[in-house]
Amino acid sequence: MQLQWFGYYLDGQSAKRRTARIYLEPGNLRIDLDDGVMLNWPYAAIRQSQGAYAGEQVRLEHGGEPAEALLIDDESFLTSFHQLLPSRAGGFHNPAKRTQRFQLTIIAACASLALIVGSYFWGIPTLAKIAAPWVPVSWEEQLGQSVLEYVAPPEQRCSDPVRQAKIENMVDAMLATQGETKYRFKIHVVNQPMFNALAAPGGHIVIFRGLLDRTENAEELAGVLAHELQHILKRHVTRSLLEYASTSFLVAAVLGDVSGIVSFGVEAAQMLAQMRFSREHELEADAAGLQMLLAGEIDPAGMIAFFESVRKEESNLATTLPYVSTHPQTEVRIARLKSMIAASAASSRKLLPDYSWDDIKKICPAPAKPAKP
Amino acid sequence: MASDFLDPPAQILDTATNSTYPVRFHGRGGSLFGIQIVNLFVSLITLGVYSFWGRVKVRSYLASQTEFAGDRFAYHGTGRELLIGWTKAMVLFGIPLFVLAVLQVIVGMESDLFDVLQILIYTVVGIFIPIAMVNARRYRLSRMSWRGIRFSFRGGVRDFMAIYIKGWLLTVMSLGFYYPFWQNRRQTFMVADSFFGNQRFAFDGRGRDLFLSFVLHMVLTLPTFFICWFWYWARVQRYYADHTSFQAARFRSSVTGGGVFGLWIGNAILFILTLGLGWSWITVRNMRYYASHLTMVGALEFADVMQEIQTATATGEGLSGFLDLDFDLG
Repeated sequence: MQLQWFGYYLDGQSAKRRTARIYLEPGNLRIDLDDGVMLNWPYAAIRQSQGAYAGEQVRLEHGGEPAEALLIDDESFLTSFHQLLPSRAGGFHNPAKRTQRFQLTIIAACASLALIVGSYFWGIPTLAKIAAPWVPVSWEEQLGQSVLEYVAPPEQRCSDPVRQAKIENMVDAMLATQGETKYRFKIHVVNQPMFNALAAPGGHIVIFRGLLDRTENAEELAGVLAHELQHILKRHVTRSLLEYASTSFLVAAVLGDVSGIVSFGVEAAQMLAQMRFSREHELEADAAGLQMLLAGEIDPAGMIAFFESVRKEESNLATTLPYVSTHPQTEVRIARLKSMIAASAASSRKLLPDYSWDDIKKICPAPAKPAKP
Repeated sequence: MASDFLDPPAQILDTATNSTYPVRFHGRGGSLFGIQIVNLFVSLITLGVYSFWGRVKVRSYLASQTEFAGDRFAYHGTGRELLIGWTKAMVLFGIPLFVLAVLQVIVGMESDLFDVLQILIYTVVGIFIPIAMVNARRYRLSRMSWRGIRFSFRGGVRDFMAIYIKGWLLTVMSLGFYYPFWQNRRQTFMVADSFFGNQRFAFDGRGRDLFLSFVLHMVLTLPTFFICWFWYWARVQRYYADHTSFQAARFRSSVTGGGVFGLWIGNAILFILTLGLGWSWITVRNMRYYASHLTMVGALEFADVMQEIQTATATGEGLSGFLDLDFDLG
């Protein structure tokens, strides 16, 4: 068995390289330098920093930074080390174990794939759901407040206390079915023709005049409100933020050192994931909203009727609607809601029986009609 | 004493004059892929925390497979340092950017504030780039060694910020014509403050030498569908190598536009056919190409190079005391 190896010694002080003869002695590694100097390194004080891969020089370091280093081209040094001094060689790479490492690599590759698929479909949404309740409501309120300032500037909000109260009563009736909540809900009707409604985190629901105008009865608006209320109660914005952050994390973990052109792929992956998660939130708000209507004895046909009018808007391709683009396929949602209604046996009573619904639309001052030429 | 050594491998004499010192890359795609796939797995089960240690493994492999004048480079960074650096960058830039991006999503495209936020994002990124460039270079060089001697970068963030912002403005105002001068200024800054041990690299390139070539390539951009820029890029690489020296030796690069173009086409095909899994082989192809086209010619006296380790955490430079955080972008 070979007991002597040829290598190079670097003293960590100058870039001069000295040739060395290296001996595996029982107590320590003996190094004879070309100028006659002899060094003894105790095995316990030696670190191996290179030489774990085929074709890589073995690099042994000794002492604090700047460390002395010993470079050995012949990896059989490691094999002999393990054979001769198995008790000392524990912390050093053993080339005999490379096949084993190859098998582990294959297993790691398969496991990684399973993990990525698992986190995307299940892990990330679940994690967000678990983490969201830990986010303080006051943070959500602050975020919601700033959102509100942008989407519903005070001068555009319609203020009509009597009609506002009617909407708020509907909300209260629905919330009564939900038990204690940490949120103080507030409804804002905005004088803009958009066919849209949105829920800002922390309890603000924004209804645009365009949407209110399209409702034919209180139940339809109740359907929209139920959906938006559930976005807030289920903390969907907070969960989206958490999901966004964890997707970033996952992508960063997957790509590691990769950068440059791949960053475009990262963006695309993020977008796709985000779209998927938001679709799930919409479906969840639909289902929970419907349950809330049923519990509050509100006719769910209103919700269906509202979605039917969304569908009509969709077929009108000339206009692009924010409500449409961010939401799942409307037909699928309608079918899903219908089957849930069929499965329930809840009774319902009419909302605001003595009220002419068209009156609610006067909550906003009528828009100035364009002068006819 | 030295004479009885058993057959020492052929080596380049330390004191030769006008020697040619080659650079070689010995890495293999398969080995790198093995490292990266294990990194991926462990990163996933540690929720990404391991990725910093994994990155060290990759860099360490790439460094130790790169040989200059018969000796390999070594990487000394640690996962802990990268994690701390990342955390600093995250707090200073990541979180503000994230908040701005989230606000943008919230206000929506229609809002006037969308554009205001966009400008803010550009500003933060614009400040981030020069800081990151300097700090990444400082960190990376300080963690690289050859023959046990560390490299270092000693330029200050403030100086680079001035070069960067001034150059950027002049480039915009000159409709791009200032670009080669700006590029040269940046290169000068990056090289001339770089050290190997106690000795400095020197750079004597001039922006005007590349100006005509730059204009020519601007003209050729559309007729060649941008492909001509591979030739310009190769030209710049050769020029910068030729004007970079250490002691009495100069770098020589023989990269060509055709060579780089071919490399990229090959990489793109490899990337697409393997759905990105061939990334390790792409890295190895790149390293091999650039290493095999780089040499140093002249006289080097390695025994004169003494260790002079610089800590990568710079302090006491006023504003840059805050800016000179040694984070690394990876």
